Parts: sequence; structure tokens; C-alpha cells
Amino acid sequence: MRQPLARELQDLLERGRDRQLRLAVTGLSRSGKTAFLTSLVNQLRHAGLEARLDLLPAARQGRLLGARRVSQQDLSVPRFPYDQAMAALAETPPRWPEPTRGISELRLMLRYRPAKRGWLAGETRQLTLDLFDYPGEWLLDLPLLAHDFSSWCHSQQALAGEQRRAHFAAWHSAVDDLDPAGEADEAQLARIAERYAEGLLSAREAGFADLQPGRFLLPGDLAGAPVLQFFPLPGLSAADPAGLAALPPGSNFATLARRFHHYQQHIVKPFYRDHFRRFDRQIVLVDLLGALNAGPERFEDLSRALANLMQSFDYGRRSLLSRLFAPRIDRLAIAATKADHVTPEQHPRLVALLEALLAEPLKDLRFASVPVRALSLAAIRASEAREVEHRGQRTPALRAVGLDGEPLLLFPGEVPERLPDAAFWTRQGFSYPSFRPLPLEGGALPHIRMDTALDWLIGDKLQ
Amino acid sequence: MNQSRDPRPSQRFSAEAGEPGEAEASASSPDPRPTETFDAELTSRPLADEPPGVGEQALEASLARPRRRRWGLLTLLSGTLGLGAVEAASTLYAASLGGNWLAGAWSLLLLLALALGGSALARELWRLRRLRRHDRLRERLEALPEAAPKEAHATAESLRRCLDLDDDHPHWQGFLAARQAHHDGRDTQLLLDHHLLAPRDREASRLISRMSGETAIMVAVSPLTLVDMALVAWRSLAMIDRLCRLYGLELGYPGRVRLLRSVLYQMAFAGATEMAGDAGMQMLSMNLAGRLSTRAAQGMGVGLLSARLGLRTQRLTRPMPFPEESLPRLGDLRRELWQQLRRLEADLDRTA
Repeated sequence: MRQPLARELQDLLERGRDRQLRLAVTGLSRSGKTAFLTSLVNQLRHAGLEARLDLLPAARQGRLLGARRVSQQDLSVPRFPYDQAMAALAETPPRWPEPTRGISELRLMLRYRPAKRGWLAGETRQLTLDLFDYPGEWLLDLPLLAHDFSSWCHSQQALAGEQRRAHFAAWHSAVDDLDPAGEADEAQLARIAERYAEGLLSAREAGFADLQPGRFLLPGDLAGAPVLQFFPLPGLSAADPAGLAALPPGSNFATLARRFHHYQQHIVKPFYRDHFRRFDRQIVLVDLLGALNAGPERFEDLSRALANLMQSFDYGRRSLLSRLFAPRIDRLAIAATKADHVTPEQHPRLVALLEALLAEPLKDLRFASVPVRALSLAAIRASEAREVEHRGQRTPALRAVGLDGEPLLLFPGEVPERLPDAAFWTRQGFSYPSFRPLPLEGGALPHIRMDTALDWLIGDKLQ
Repeated sequence: MNQSRDPRPSQRFSAEAGEPGEAEASASSPDPRPTETFDAELTSRPLADEPPGVGEQALEASLARPRRRRWGLLTLLSGTLGLGAVEAASTLYAASLGGNWLAGAWSLLLLLALALGGSALARELWRLRRLRRHDRLRERLEALPEAAPKEAHATAESLRRCLDLDDDHPHWQGFLAARQAHHDGRDTQLLLDHHLLAPRDREASRLISRMSGETAIMVAVSPLTLVDMALVAWRSLAMIDRLCRLYGLELGYPGRVRLLRSVLYQMAFAGATEMAGDAGMQMLSMNLAGRLSTRAAQGMGVGLLSARLGLRTQRLTRPMPFPEESLPRLGDLRRELWQQLRRLEADLDRTA
């Protein structure tokens, strides 16, 4: 993790001059992080040529000259697989890029002509943009840092909705006859932990988002290590904390608490320290349509997960000192992704729903006086907005290709402005279909409002 | 006599024997109303009793200058003209029957004069209507952020017609290429500003700088005050006219007068702080101008005034208000003006 001193100094200098930005692309799994990053690199690479970034003033005025991928800061981290993602999109038939399974980094060098020439500045200026991609599952580990084992057990218990509990039935039956004070049996603990991981996996398949710990879903190289063999103890809230703390180190409770602590200190903390501490700008991607498809309980679950998550970031105004030594996020975008899966006139409703979903974190951000912008976007547009004449009425529609290759012309349904009541879900519910990406036609990827997002996130540095 | 009044002694009130005044007061403020439940099915309407904006409109109407229609004068004028035309026509008819050619020729001439006057009047009215249409377009463009996409496109189309761009004009084509189905009104406004209006703005500021520079030079070299005044009036009107045409406004005489009046009104009353800033800059440049000859300094002053008039006109006639960061400022024009005059003086010195 150590970098050569010269490089560190140079970074410090660049940060001091505010010519370096670190952008946090935050989103749970399947929210479209990889697509967003791929599109971002693609758009900036084609800026000034074929990319349509009309709502980004620097691009509209022809001042943005383009971007280049440069060698990244930390050579031990894999590079973001941009070429692989583009290759997937260029296949016939095109397919979406593979979901991320590990951490990857990317450094982009943007070159632009400043709007007003300063005294010392040359003809062009540069801005370095640091991006990185990671599995969204791991992100949910960040709120773990605020817990100890018993409070974590407590918080996990509070989550148990009816449908969620069903996924963990096997684990519940296994864990119920585990005595916290009993002697720890490695094999038994491993078995219960496995049940727990299975429960998490099936819950994720069903669309739940608030699933901790994240490495259980995507262990990487940690598969089978004892550090991943722990789980919350359900009946813990009744027991008194002093009695639990006094339990011998060989007991079930102490073993699990030790593993939890190890997980927290040696897996989550380095992840947070190395990748999440220094951010200047953030975009939170939310797959609202997927959550609506999945139903009300999962929608609540998503809202809670995001609210927990956003507490793990530092927000606030920046100054020279804070920029150098304790970077903070001073500007934030929240985006409902996959906006191309609904017709354009539904976009304002999508944004309203997103604001309703994130109402609590938005209040905190407002209190911290951090400017936030909510928008809907599609990093890689997979449909075309049309209009059809149906039963004597003109109605908007989308033309796209379904995931199975079937051509579609449809109105995907309205988006509610706030979460509908229970009766609606039993009556109708939502079913937004998924689309396959459009075939690549050379030039830049088609998108919806990537330019607005870019303008909000980095536009002020391209003046 | 001049004693201060004693503080009032203590006084006790009992609940039973209240003073008559008190009893009245308690009667006038009755008990709080008890709970009342309505049937849930009962129709109710929102509490807002007055649609917002009505009050504002009334206020605006009462603050605006009273609208005077000179109906009497209009009736007299149109009656005289109409009767004159009828009279002339009947005389012409009688003359053609009776063979009185001279009277016939006179009445024909009168008819012609009436027709000419009428057509001129009609043209002016037509141009006034265009001015009003331009105002409406401005309103629509201002309300663009709240407009639905389809409406926004219609507005863009009418702006295109107003600016007299044809369908294959590169600026319009640029706008069409940039426009996407998902853009809302605000985005459309941004794009219109950039693709259709920004080129005109550049042209306008070039025009202002050139014409105010010319005015400055003319005033600097002209020998007579009276000539100066005439020059300034002529050049200013010409500049206003050309600026208007640039932004798709064709003005008749009343329209021009009206615009000039509102420009002057704006310059006098609107944006006092900005004017203070401008004036400061102007003082500074006059200071600089002190280093020129008196005559050149005079030219500089007039040039600055004319440039300011031009900028005001531009701001008033542009179909969309300027975005805050790209508002044209006098400071940008000042330097050019200064350089033009310096060059002129250097030339004069060399020839003298």
C-alpha cells in the first residue's frame, strides 16, 4: 500500500491545486455501477467528438478536449476492465458487462481549455479523475464499523420482516438450539454460518438489499476462512450485557464476537481506509425500478440499507486544509439508474420517488449544507423513446429488445411518486421488463442524462 | 400639578362578582368550539380560498401606469377619415357622370392620400402586433423550465421562426442534433440559449462595440455641439434598430419610440446598484480619458453612454434573459473603446 514519496508529494500538490478529484460511485449490487463507469469513461473519451454531452457546458462549448486513461496510483489494484466491458457491449447480440467481483481502479486525465485564461495557466488544463469499482455487496459492510457484536445482533434482529425471515428459515432452526454460553464447537459454528450465508444469498436473489456481512455473499479469496464463520445470535437482546461479557473465551458468544471483531478490524476497516476515506464527490446509484419490481418489503429494505450506508461517508464543505488532509464529499448526486426502462415523461416521478426513498439521509445532508441533486439517468441507454397511436390515443412507448432477444414496443407502466399502499401491491404491483443493450454503432454509447450528472459532479472544475 | 401619578395599588378580582366590562368581554370571546365530526364521505375542498397570483395581478395592475384609451379622439379621427373617403368617392362618381374632371382628379388624389395613410397606419399596427408577439414569446421562453417537452419543442420552433432561421440552418440543426427525447424544459432552454442565441449575442456585442466606437470617434472629430447631438441621436436609433433586427424584432416608429422609452426607463431606474458600478467604471475611464484631449474625452464619454444604451437594448430585446454568468458587461467594451480613441488620437497627432 505504500507509495513512493515523490508520487505522494505530487498527488498532494495536485490536490492542493484542486486539480484532482476522487469520485465515489456508490451503489448496491446490480445498481449499475459498472455500466456507469464504463459509460463515463466512454463519454469522456469521446468528448468533443461524437459524444453527446450537451448539458455539460465545457463539452457544449467545445472546451473539453477529451480524456485518457493513465497509469493509476496503486499498482497492486487491478485496472477497471473497461475494454472487457466494451467488448461485451460490442458482441452480437450485445450483452451487459459482467458484474464486478473484485476491486478495480481507474485514473482518467481530462484535458480542457479553461473558459477564462488566468495569469499563469497555459492554453489547456488538466483534471485528474480517480474512479474505482467494487462489488456492491461489500459496501454494506461499512455500516458494520459502527457496531459491536451484540449491537449488531440486535440490529439484525430488528430487520426481520416476514418474507425476509422465510429465506433464513434453515438458519433459524439451526441457531435456535445454540446456547451462547455453551462451549464453542467449530464444526457446528461452521455449519450454522453456512446456513446463514445461504440465507443471505437466497435473500439477495429475491431482491433484498440490506444484507450483512457482504463478504458472505462474495467471499473472494476468503472462502472457508474461520473469519467468515460467524452470524448474529437471535435471542441476545433478552440476555444482560454484563453477563455476556463475563462469558469464558471458549464460549459460543465469545468466539463469535471475536470473529466479528476480526472481520471488522481486518477486512472492513482496511477496505474502508484504502478506498472509501478520501472522496471529493459522490454519486449514489439506486435501482429503483428493480426495487419496485421486487415489492414493498424489499423497497423498505433498500431504503434502510442506503440510509445506513450514507452514514459511512464524510460530508461537508471543503477548504484547502481539508482537501489535503481530510477530504470530504462536498457535492453529491443521487441517481435513479435504468431510466431508459420507463418512458421519458415518467422521469420526474422517478426522481420524486428517489427523493422519497432517501428522505432521511437527504435531511442530514441538508443539515451539513452539502448540495445534493437528484436525477434519473441511464448510463447506457437500451431503448428508444417513441409514440404510438393506440385506441385513438397517442401514448408514449419504448422500443427495445428484451433480454431473450425478442423485439419489444411497449409502455412499461407508470412510476408512482411515492410508495403505494398495501392494497395496490396485492391488486397490481409493478413489472418493468429488462432490456438488452442496443447494438453499438461506433461513436459514443447512447445515454440519458450522463451529461447532467457529469456537470453536477465535475462541471465546476472544468471552468 | 406636576406630580407624577402614583403607581396603581393592588386590586383583587373575584370570580363571582366581576365588573360589568369584564362580563361583556367574556361574552364576546365565547368558549372554544367543541369537537365536531363530519361524515367522511362529505365533500370538502382545499383550504386555499384565493388562487395565488390574483392578488399579485391586482397589485401590478394598480401599480402600473393608468391605461388611457382616447376613445373620443379615435372616433373623431376615424369618423373624419371615413366620411372624407365616402365624400371623395361620391364626388368622384358624380364627377365621372357630370364630366367635372378637375373635381374628380382632386377627389382621386384625396382617396390616394387616404389609402396611403391608411396602409402606413396598418403597417405600424402590424409591427406593433409583432412587438406584442415577441413579448409573448419572451414570456413563453421564460416559462420554459416548467413546460412539458412537447410544448418546449413548439416554443423552440417559434423562436426559430422569430430569429428567421430556416430548417437547414446550421445553428438550428445543431440544436436538433443536441436535443434528446428525455430533455425537459430547462434542458431545452439551455440548448436554445447556446445554439440559437449565443451566436446572435456574439454578433450583437460586436455590433455594439463597433457602433459605439464609431459614435465616439464621430463626436471626437465633429466641431459643433449641435452636430454632436444630432449624431448621437441618429446613431443610437440606428443601433437600436439593428440590434432589434438581430433578435428578430422589426420595429415601426411607435415601437421604436416605445422601446427607446423603456430602455431609457431601465437605464434611469432599474438596477441602481449596477448603475453605480458602471458609473464608477465610467468615472475611472473618464479619468483615463483626461489624459486624452478634451475632445477625445468627450467622445469617450459619449461612446460609453452609447455602449450602455446598446447593452440595455440587447438585454431588453433578447428573447431570453441572459444567464447570470454570461451577462455582457460594459467593462468588456470599455477597453476596446479606449483603444480605438487612442489610435485615433495618435493618428491625429501624426497628421497635425
